[in-house]
Amino acid sequence: MEVEVDEKELKAAGAELFSDGRRGLRIHGWEIETRNRSILNSSTHELWEKKLETCHMPEMIFGESCLVLKHVKSGTTIHFNAFDALIGWKKEALPPVEVPAAAQWKFRCKPSEQVILDYDYTFTTPYGGSETITLDADKHEGGEVSKETCNLHWEDCKEKIDVVALASKEPILFYDEVVLYEDELADNGVSLLTVKVRVMPSGWFLLLRFWLRVDGVLMRLRDTRMHCAFGDNVNPIILRESCWREATFQALAAKGYPSEAAAYNDPSIISQRLPVVMSKTQKLKVSSNM
Amino acid sequence: MSSDLDRQIEQLKKCEPLKESEVKALCLKAMEILVEESNVQRVDAPVTICGDIHGQFYDMKELFKVGGDCPKTNYLFLGDFVDRGFYSVETFLLLLALKVRYPDRITLIRGNHESRQITQVYGFYDECLRKYGSVNVWRYCTDIFDYLSLSALIENKIFSVHGGLSPAISTLDQIRTIDRKQEVPHDGAMCDLLWSDPEDIVDGWGLSPRGAGFLFGGSVVSSFNHANNIDYICRAHQLVMEGYKWMFNNQIVTVWSAPNYCYRCGNVAAILELDENLNKQFRVFDAAPQESRGTPAKKPAPDYFL
Repeated sequence: MEVEVDEKELKAAGAELFSDGRRGLRIHGWEIETRNRSILNSSTHELWEKKLETCHMPEMIFGESCLVLKHVKSGTTIHFNAFDALIGWKKEALPPVEVPAAAQWKFRCKPSEQVILDYDYTFTTPYGGSETITLDADKHEGGEVSKETCNLHWEDCKEKIDVVALASKEPILFYDEVVLYEDELADNGVSLLTVKVRVMPSGWFLLLRFWLRVDGVLMRLRDTRMHCAFGDNVNPIILRESCWREATFQALAAKGYPSEAAAYNDPSIISQRLPVVMSKTQKLKVSSNM
Repeated sequence: MSSDLDRQIEQLKKCEPLKESEVKALCLKAMEILVEESNVQRVDAPVTICGDIHGQFYDMKELFKVGGDCPKTNYLFLGDFVDRGFYSVETFLLLLALKVRYPDRITLIRGNHESRQITQVYGFYDECLRKYGSVNVWRYCTDIFDYLSLSALIENKIFSVHGGLSPAISTLDQIRTIDRKQEVPHDGAMCDLLWSDPEDIVDGWGLSPRGAGFLFGGSVVSSFNHANNIDYICRAHQLVMEGYKWMFNNQIVTVWSAPNYCYRCGNVAAILELDENLNKQFRVFDAAPQESRGTPAKKPAPDYFL
């Protein structure tokens, strides 16, 4: 299943693929790893429901799948996982979106004991990744703290991710895509959270994307891009751009765009049609002198 | 005539689609058979019940390996033959050809994906267009969908349906009176049978937060089973990691027959075998091994995404 990479290119870039069965590589002081696993089984699914204090979760949760980028010297780890993303969903708790058929359903005679469920079935999340600092015991002077986590500080900044440089066709040393969760909205559209990563000789780049299409109603795209240029291997800087877009089918139709759901299967093709509702850039200075 | 059909079945078993003219003729013959079926089609035991397939042709071949070939094994498929997988055309046509060849040994009932509207969004329409260069085959197939029965009753004891129950239905006779030969409506009894889901957290009826779509609880199932003198309900429609799942004290079971759903979920699939005395045996199976599939493994091609 491994994507073939030119050995020479890896060597020239100072990179080394993991040889222990894990998928990923070491490069410029980073360890970058992806895991693609099965969806949660029923018992783990129930366990997560308890932990998240909810009775509703996406149908397909790839709970053990992840992308991890670890800066070895500082212990700084950026990672992406379904659980943290669902914590974000639970907190944001958007009101439910009604599908077009709902209008007709309002006229149906209601069974007397009917309960109307009220939760964000679109699983919209503001998640932009997780970060921790892990200090290994052998490196820590006290020797007692083997693992420590804390929130790293992302500061707002003016710099932008250099898209032009990223568009240059330098070799891709490592590439993968990880689905974190997915729901078919009971055949009323799609809710999908995925993360893609590519590692080039000049740096790594990733795109975390939440994609929602409620057929006939709305589309929502929440992208988080991160880029780290290799250079300073001791104190690298990571740029993070968040861009949220959203449009109703009605608004798209008014602009003359197609209004049938089938025209909106691939968010990367139609993203420009969706107006931006939020955008910000932040940076994280990774420091090895903590 | 039947030798022609036998040849078509052999061809479809190799995952080779039929010619457009052959599809048209097959659909016409299927229509003559299906139009005679009841909305609550009677099925005799022994029978093997299968849930969603979703165009996963090579996984359906695994299903036949585990369950035995038709007509030797008597089959009941609970709908959702098409969409999402790569081979909806071959999957549906093989099942339909088997139906025409052995009408008493295979029963096909309608799932919510057997609809014009849903197939235009979730794959079958595009697949027909890609494989035939026109939408004619999609038209023939979706016209046949309108004739598929809505439910089945095994030995008067096991009620089988794709989705679930409806607040508009309390007896099987009420299902028998539905005029089913139409596109699946957006509401009403026929819609509910194909779309609704059992739900632990409601006892009676629940409405989905989408504003459309019913959820039903344990007491609804108890009263339905009691009123119609049935042992339990067998349905499909929802992905279950373990292939099947009982709910409400064994009053309803979900059977899911698409292993490694969408080629990435890693779930197992199941079919439910009932012997002549209605003794149950679930047969759990995995997705077809990679080498037995027509196409090479789908690996993520490095892409210069921005």
